[in-house]
Amino acid sequence: MIDHSDPVTQLAFMIVVSVVAGTFLLIAVALFRRWQQIRYGRYVHALQRKYRPVLAGILSGARSPAAIEILREMPMAELEVLLEPLFSRRKLPERSLVFFQALCLELGLIELWHSRLARGPRMAAPYSQSGASRESLGRPGMGLLLRAKSIRNLGKLRHRPSWPLLVKALDDPRAEVQFVALRALGALGAPESFPLLRERLHAVAQGNSQSPPLRGLRAAMASFDLACAPALVPSLRHGDGNVRLQGTEILRMIVSREAAFQPHLTLTAELLSPQMVELLLAALAIDANSETRARTAEIIVFLADPRATRALRNLLLDHQWFVRLRTVQALAHLRQAAAPLHVQIRGCLRDSHWQVREAAIQTLLSLGPEGTHHLYEHFLASPNHPTREQIVEVIERRGVVFELVEMYSNGANGVDARMVEQLAAESARVGLSGILRSVPPEVRLRFLSRLFSSAEAKMRFHEGTQPGLESAVSTEHVLEFLPRVAA
Amino acid sequence: MSHIRTLFEDWVTVFNLVVLSYFFLGNGIYTILMLLSLRATWVHQRQLAYQGLDALRVSPVTPPVTIVIPAWNEQDVIVDCVRTALQVDYPQLQVMVVDDGSTDSTLARLVESFGLLEMDGAYHGGLPTAPVQTYYTNPAIPSLLVVSKIRGGKPDALNAGINLCRSPYFCNIDADCLLERDSLLRLMDPVVNCTTQTVVSGGIIRILNGCETRGGRLLKVGLPQTWLERFQVVEYLRSFLFGRTGWHLLGGTLIVSGAFAVFHRETVIEAGGFSHDTVTEDMDLIVQLCQWAADNKRKIRTSFASDPVCWTECPSTLAVLANQRRRWQLGLCQTLWKHSGILFRKKYGIVGMLSFPFHSYVEGVGAVVEFLGYALVPAFIYLGMIPTRLLLVFILLGFVYGGFLSVGAVLLEELTYRRYPRFRDLVTLLIFGLLENLGYRQLVLFYRFQGVMKFLFGSRRWEKVTHVGAIAEGTP
Repeated sequence: MIDHSDPVTQLAFMIVVSVVAGTFLLIAVALFRRWQQIRYGRYVHALQRKYRPVLAGILSGARSPAAIEILREMPMAELEVLLEPLFSRRKLPERSLVFFQALCLELGLIELWHSRLARGPRMAAPYSQSGASRESLGRPGMGLLLRAKSIRNLGKLRHRPSWPLLVKALDDPRAEVQFVALRALGALGAPESFPLLRERLHAVAQGNSQSPPLRGLRAAMASFDLACAPALVPSLRHGDGNVRLQGTEILRMIVSREAAFQPHLTLTAELLSPQMVELLLAALAIDANSETRARTAEIIVFLADPRATRALRNLLLDHQWFVRLRTVQALAHLRQAAAPLHVQIRGCLRDSHWQVREAAIQTLLSLGPEGTHHLYEHFLASPNHPTREQIVEVIERRGVVFELVEMYSNGANGVDARMVEQLAAESARVGLSGILRSVPPEVRLRFLSRLFSSAEAKMRFHEGTQPGLESAVSTEHVLEFLPRVAA
Repeated sequence: MSHIRTLFEDWVTVFNLVVLSYFFLGNGIYTILMLLSLRATWVHQRQLAYQGLDALRVSPVTPPVTIVIPAWNEQDVIVDCVRTALQVDYPQLQVMVVDDGSTDSTLARLVESFGLLEMDGAYHGGLPTAPVQTYYTNPAIPSLLVVSKIRGGKPDALNAGINLCRSPYFCNIDADCLLERDSLLRLMDPVVNCTTQTVVSGGIIRILNGCETRGGRLLKVGLPQTWLERFQVVEYLRSFLFGRTGWHLLGGTLIVSGAFAVFHRETVIEAGGFSHDTVTEDMDLIVQLCQWAADNKRKIRTSFASDPVCWTECPSTLAVLANQRRRWQLGLCQTLWKHSGILFRKKYGIVGMLSFPFHSYVEGVGAVVEFLGYALVPAFIYLGMIPTRLLLVFILLGFVYGGFLSVGAVLLEELTYRRYPRFRDLVTLLIFGLLENLGYRQLVLFYRFQGVMKFLFGSRRWEKVTHVGAIAEGTP
């Protein structure tokens, strides 16, 4: 078929042959990899089956020197493979941490992980040097994976004495290793490492260094205990705006996390340090960077300082809409901080930005009866249609209308009752109809009889139906009629 | 007469050169993409071994996300799709269904299945859309919002979703999609862990046909039964595992599947949202974002990761496949034509200088070149204008090279994610990779050619791809 005198045909044919050979090579590699994987799976399975009783005994918490001796005699690689499911879990159980730390220490695993980290990226010990059998993994040159796993395991165990090695790992040339190290440092939360991380943060935020990655650094520092927060003072008073911003963000994240655990968290000068409180109120709340101001607001709400209210009031009037947004959102967290600011929050219902208005609605609803009444009063008095629509949407989505229907049908008066009548009259007829259909019939009946006892509603009712027929009208008829009443 | 023949011969020579350039350029770049993604996917997959998602799950910097599901006449799949979206493991998640004026019982099924109540809503129209009519919610499922609007097409529904969305990021998925539980966390990982603002993050689409599902959850991965669906499995692997990964590595991503992608809301609004100008609004938006960012000197990043998985139905009949491929090709041509201003403009970087020209020539014009190549070759042989042996070797080269690339994609899958657990599945995929170029590729080429013709001369409306409801059926 091949014409040897034609070089083009010959070349094309050679390419065909090469591609065919390449294709078969790819097929062979794919099949080989699958075979290798199956073999490895069988090996792990056999290992787990063999040592399951020993491991189960140890993991049950009972100290068994014989079992530990069996594990100690195992090659390190096999031991790591055996314990891998433990470390690839989301989180080790809190109560077992001390036990696992002791176990890994006793088995020499912590020493092995330390030695890998101490040797650095190029000289990570291959399994052959750590007592592993050749068949164990057979994957030479996987220094990156070994380093990363060692760091991950130390982090999962929260082995605090390992922090200097983990800080050193931040200089690893691989960004992935830096990430894992940051995560581990965050999990450890060793206070000694915090100032070192802060120095790195300054370098990265100022652009003097590219590594470790800023987001990872921020997340790691935010995982530290609130007691470490005073160490952020140099960041908060730094001349560089970006450093201040990053410092404030970290502090905000630490405070938010603490607040999630302690609903009545209060930040005092003793807890944060007087300098930090001063910085927050006198400098960061009026920082040139609006992002910094927005984050500062979220910290100030927790401050037990008489100046905090004034600072928050100013932030609620900030010229940047997202500063107002973050401030009004933050006020939802703490009732005592918000109490003197109800009027200002209510003022945010007239904000030019819809997100601020919506946040104000959410905040007032979360501030208990007093905030809710402020919201209802605004709704009843405000002629602003978009804001009224937003209020209706939020209270319906949060299920507040259910409560209102129940209260109204049980005879509640005051602003709640006026709110319900207003909702029925014009604003929330769709949602109200839907809710009335889903409540028990007796509640529905009580609600409707009360609603239609009001003169105005009765008048509207009569406008759309035959006089004298109201007693004969069924609940279903009234439900159908409700939108018309509102119209 | 001889003058006409000379002219014809000249034309044949030019045509041959065009075909050759198309062949070598296309396959050459695909080979480079394959090699690049082979390494990158390998490294990425290795990182996954120790980079747990738990930190992202609890991290305070993980931003809230809203899953937006545009739906039009999706009664068979919508409930399971919403169920699967609500089950996604993500710290601050909202799910929003935008019913785009369905005429079937899509809305009724949602209302019934999730106990939804009609509510009053406030609509803030940042992007212009058809009016939103009704809002549905259930206070017991606060993370779910269903809205019903007047029909305006998929881009319109997506824009309405963007307007209603409260989170900085939104993830749009199609109603026939099934998300893996950790897929959103994986999709957001490159967004959270990158210093440059990532405005788009795309994941991989895999084929659901043949898999076992229940209640919106994937129970068992398997290969479909029919040859048509199996070819599509190989095709998707090639397209996502090395096509998109490779372009992402080169910084020239032009296509992120609209069936599963995360977008930065504010940036999308600034860039004008999803456009009605094309039938592939996802590709159009990506190009639009690249163009907008370069024009406004904004540094943005488009990311693609091959580990976040979204499972979707693929066409199981030729008619549906034809509709789908014609639409894709039509949308590609419309998008390339609409944004032709970025072609070979240095200002647009890799996208303008490499990715866009490549897609224009190989993916756009290439469909016509290849189709004409197949159609005219017999005539040229008959007229004795091409040496038969050279031609045969060349055709053979075309077939084996296509097989090489498809097998490469299967290998990539095997080296990394290995989602098809049975040995038999691997062998089947390899066989279908080899066979893909003997008929299936030509069939798809024909549909693509029809798509180009439709762009040039025909109707440009959206052709609906009907779903058989593989999610709902639960069995292959």
